[in-house]
Amino acid sequence: MPRVRVVSRNFMEMVAALPAAKLDLLYDRHWTCQAVFRSLPPLAKQYVLRLLWVENAVPLKSWQEWARPEALSKHQIAIDRLEQLRVILPERKKEVCYRMNPKLQKQLRQALSTGGGPPRDVVSESVAARVPNSADLENYAMKQWESVLLQLVDCAADGPAGPKNPFIIKVFQRSGLLTPSSRENESPSLTDLGFQFLLMDTNSQLWQLVREYVTSSEDRGTDSGELVGFLLELGFHLVGEAYSVNSLSPALQKVLDELAALGLVKLQQGMKESWYIPTKLASNLSASLSESTDWQSSEGFVVVETNFKVYAYTSSKLQTEILRCFTRLEYQLPNLVVATLTKESVNKALGSGISAEQIISFLRKHAHPHVAQKIPVVPETVSDQLRLWETDRNRVQFEPAYFYDDFPTMAIYEAVVAHARDLGGLLFEDASAKRLIVRSDLHEDMRQYIRKQSSGAPAQRK
Amino acid sequence: MARNPTDDVSQVVLLLDVNPFFWGAEAASGGRSNGSGGLAFDQYFQHALMFVNGILLLNHTNRIVIIATGSSTCAFLYDSTATDGINGSSVTSKANKKTQVSRTELITKSMQEFVSKEEEASKESSQIQYSNISGSLSMALCYIQRVLRGPLPHPQARILCLQGSPDAPYQYISVMNSIFSAQRNGVVIDACVVGSQHSAFLQQATHITGGIYMKPPQPDGLFEYLMMVFTTDLFSRQFLQLPRPVGVDFRASCFCHKKTIDMGFVCSVCLSIFCKHHQTCSTCGATFSRSNSTTVTGMKRKAPGS
Repeated sequence: MPRVRVVSRNFMEMVAALPAAKLDLLYDRHWTCQAVFRSLPPLAKQYVLRLLWVENAVPLKSWQEWARPEALSKHQIAIDRLEQLRVILPERKKEVCYRMNPKLQKQLRQALSTGGGPPRDVVSESVAARVPNSADLENYAMKQWESVLLQLVDCAADGPAGPKNPFIIKVFQRSGLLTPSSRENESPSLTDLGFQFLLMDTNSQLWQLVREYVTSSEDRGTDSGELVGFLLELGFHLVGEAYSVNSLSPALQKVLDELAALGLVKLQQGMKESWYIPTKLASNLSASLSESTDWQSSEGFVVVETNFKVYAYTSSKLQTEILRCFTRLEYQLPNLVVATLTKESVNKALGSGISAEQIISFLRKHAHPHVAQKIPVVPETVSDQLRLWETDRNRVQFEPAYFYDDFPTMAIYEAVVAHARDLGGLLFEDASAKRLIVRSDLHEDMRQYIRKQSSGAPAQRK
Repeated sequence: MARNPTDDVSQVVLLLDVNPFFWGAEAASGGRSNGSGGLAFDQYFQHALMFVNGILLLNHTNRIVIIATGSSTCAFLYDSTATDGINGSSVTSKANKKTQVSRTELITKSMQEFVSKEEEASKESSQIQYSNISGSLSMALCYIQRVLRGPLPHPQARILCLQGSPDAPYQYISVMNSIFSAQRNGVVIDACVVGSQHSAFLQQATHITGGIYMKPPQPDGLFEYLMMVFTTDLFSRQFLQLPRPVGVDFRASCFCHKKTIDMGFVCSVCLSIFCKHHQTCSTCGATFSRSNSTTVTGMKRKAPGS
């Protein structure tokens, strides 16, 4: 889905926006090099591979010959991206030359020849016995993540709120998903963005939170470069493998606590040492960094029928709550929720800032494996109707405009109308009454033109 | 290529030619007789391993499978999904760790096993000196077929043949069949020939499936060729200038003696190819009338010099 790409690309943009010194520091670490490399557009990756063993600067002109003439725009995007991330460094000579960042070059060469990198200090044997198996770990991650989202949903529902983690609520508020609470005991409520957020897929949701988390890290005294490096590295850890906490800096150890709250890692403590275990969420996080289509492997559970019925095979409270955002729940069985897409329910959702496209993509994304193979996954009648309901709401468009009338002659009026049309701002004209309406941003221009016309007109008449 | 790829996730099947006859001759002559510019086997193997690392580095979801092609056998050496994908459940985490640390060692070990097995097998039939390319192609296609039948979304599948030894004429039919089924499944076959002669089979394979054929002029720089050309995924190929085929050897082999021929006889019923005139087609059993054969032999006489 494009949404994932936008969000994850934003993350890399954040990385790119780091000051050059910090970015270079990042490239000292083996894993960040690989993560950054993977996040590049496909064409840029190829370029990097080609340049990997080139020591000299390559003139841009000869570089351009690598790409087909019709793909020049792609080529340009790739070059820009590489330069932004300081993967290639410009070198001033007679013509524009680039050479690869030597640090990155070294790290990537090593990755190629060794196939990976130095493993992070893994914990002792005795610990390995206490590591949960993969199914348990996945359950843990999913439960943790659901509880995070439920805290968001709880704010939307008026019912009794569950226990809340102040850290998570704060992150939600920072990213504008919840309204900031002005008073102490006032519970925050869900914003439009928050509703949209619920419909995204897990990876985008994670990225958005992580991003927010990183931007606010400086305030809390954590070095953002270090944090980004760690997050990128996390993706290369083996899922279900224990890694020692003690080797991390104290700042990162604090970060780990918070990542554990999101379900990215599981923390365990032994007698002497403590360790963390990355979950599937963590590895998916970095997988979605690359600009390929979303490879989410989560099982879908939703079947949509042409009669607007939605069958959701789920027992999760979170999923039910999300469905409740845009459907009317009919009945609920232990493992099945039956709901209907009605005009009222969809209108309510549209009113709270969700778009029809988002609803459709949610249904499509979470389609049950039995219907996932069908094309289209969501019946056309349903998706079309959803879009129609949305356009229904947008029948009236508001546009600030100026109204002009009282033109002395027809000739001036017509000249003004023609001028407005040329500018592309003519919204309405009534020739018989000599009136017209033009977009407000063109007002200055129009006023000058009319003044010129009415002063110049007598002269012309002569 | 039926589908236009939209991303760069790839499934690569690497066919490594480890034919002992070819590499043995190579080592004995110091790389001069075969014209491969002094590419020794360990070098070749090193380069291939780095290529594998490169593919896996490119994308989190890239997968690679290595199949070794011997003179009489072929075998899977490595499957990236088998070690990276299994987490805990069947393999204990300790064992899992070990395999992860040394991908190179893992491949080297299975290569050694394969070579010793190959040695056993080639003792029995020492007269065959060609590589069993048709066997490894079929294995690769079967593997890809299994991936394509698996859960969505599917990666873009392609096969890279790193070929050293010359074409085996007797494999003509099976190789062509593999090529056509690859074409049907939208699998692209790339070929990099490190031997002294061009490979007509692989030229045709790349031509039919839309892959890249290349015979590096300096085989000892194999790695650079692999990095510059063959790591390119199908998606990026739309935008990059890549080596274009200079010419494809379209000559067929006859079905009766497996000889490569310039001109021959084609059965009008099943399109089987023969180097000389037969009364009946040995493939489909059709009988040819006399009058037809005279005109064809007449044509054959006109053929220049062959």
